[in-house]
Amino acid sequence: MTPIEKLKVRLDQAQSPLWEKNLVLKRNEFLKVRGSIDTKLYYVVSGSIRAFIEDEYEEHTIRFGYQGSFILALDSFFTGQPSEFYLQAIKKTELQVMKRDIFLSFIHSDVENVRLWEQLKEILICQQLEREIDLLTHSPLERYRRVLKRSPQLFQEIPSKYIASYLRMSPETLSRIRNS
Amino acid sequence: MFLSVKAANFVIKKEMLTTNNALIDDLIERTRSHLNALEQLRSLPEEVLQHKTDADSWNALECIEHLNLYGDFYLPEIEKSLKKANIYPAEGTFKSGWLGNYFAKSLLPKEKLNKMKTFRDKDPNGLPLDKSVLSRFLQQQKQTLDLLNRARTVNMTQVRVPTTIARWIRINLGDIFRVVIYHNQRHILQAQRVIAHLQKQEA
Repeated sequence: MTPIEKLKVRLDQAQSPLWEKNLVLKRNEFLKVRGSIDTKLYYVVSGSIRAFIEDEYEEHTIRFGYQGSFILALDSFFTGQPSEFYLQAIKKTELQVMKRDIFLSFIHSDVENVRLWEQLKEILICQQLEREIDLLTHSPLERYRRVLKRSPQLFQEIPSKYIASYLRMSPETLSRIRNS
Repeated sequence: MFLSVKAANFVIKKEMLTTNNALIDDLIERTRSHLNALEQLRSLPEEVLQHKTDADSWNALECIEHLNLYGDFYLPEIEKSLKKANIYPAEGTFKSGWLGNYFAKSLLPKEKLNKMKTFRDKDPNGLPLDKSVLSRFLQQQKQTLDLLNRARTVNMTQVRVPTTIARWIRINLGDIFRVVIYHNQRHILQAQRVIAHLQKQEA
């Protein structure tokens, strides 16, 4: 089992129920919008979510949340401050919702939970470093190769227009690369 | 919209007192639910959105275009007021004004939608409208979110914004946001009802 799976099992099997509720989003509905303070932890039961920011001209897709993963607005979660991210359902998506305080007190109730949470954060930091390299990689083809190697899942679950946005290229360029 | 207010209707109700941030969080959450309602409208065929129950009442696109026409006035006005607002830093509390509070509350939809008079220049009845109306509204909502977030640092009780009634009738920024967003809520609900009515007929 991965650390994510281990932590999920522990959260599910806690003595008192920790999950606040389940939430179903239809396709394109927003879980979170720009400027809101969202400190909750979500687990994707089915479907997928994309995180994006928007500047004056366009949306920039930052990350995806797949089935079987946790998602959260990290900046709000850690600081309690407003976050610029939008979280939007790519297709019909079911989520489990947990309040931050409930989650953190559960984590701190057991040394094994703390260890798993540490591991999760380490994984996240490494992923962020990879992502940073992506963003600094000049060649679109090379960006595509890096992401394909790292997460083949992306290309099965996510519509091309969002993959293109994630890879910082036009949908046309992406389709050219994929067909060559 | 506001002209139908009769003097007799003015009962001074308790004004809203809250914190700047609590009001903004509430309005952001309302805007999120409006965006989600909009996404559902966007998934419908244009004929459905153009369906009129009768000649005098609006179809879904007309409801949304009505909101766009108000957004066209208020969003740039809010933008202007925020640019000048740094002399009024946020103090934590927000207090609505009596007029602003009255307008805002009168717009919040009630159980049965009460009729309100529409100004002619804000009445889209009979205009040829297509789905681009919805994209325009989407952009306005995203702009609204940006404005709300920027308003966290200013004193929304002090900053004043002109209204569509007359430029000299100004209400405070927090109330203006409430007016715009409650008004959105009212006509999104109206659009949803037109469509629910049609779907019931077809079923």
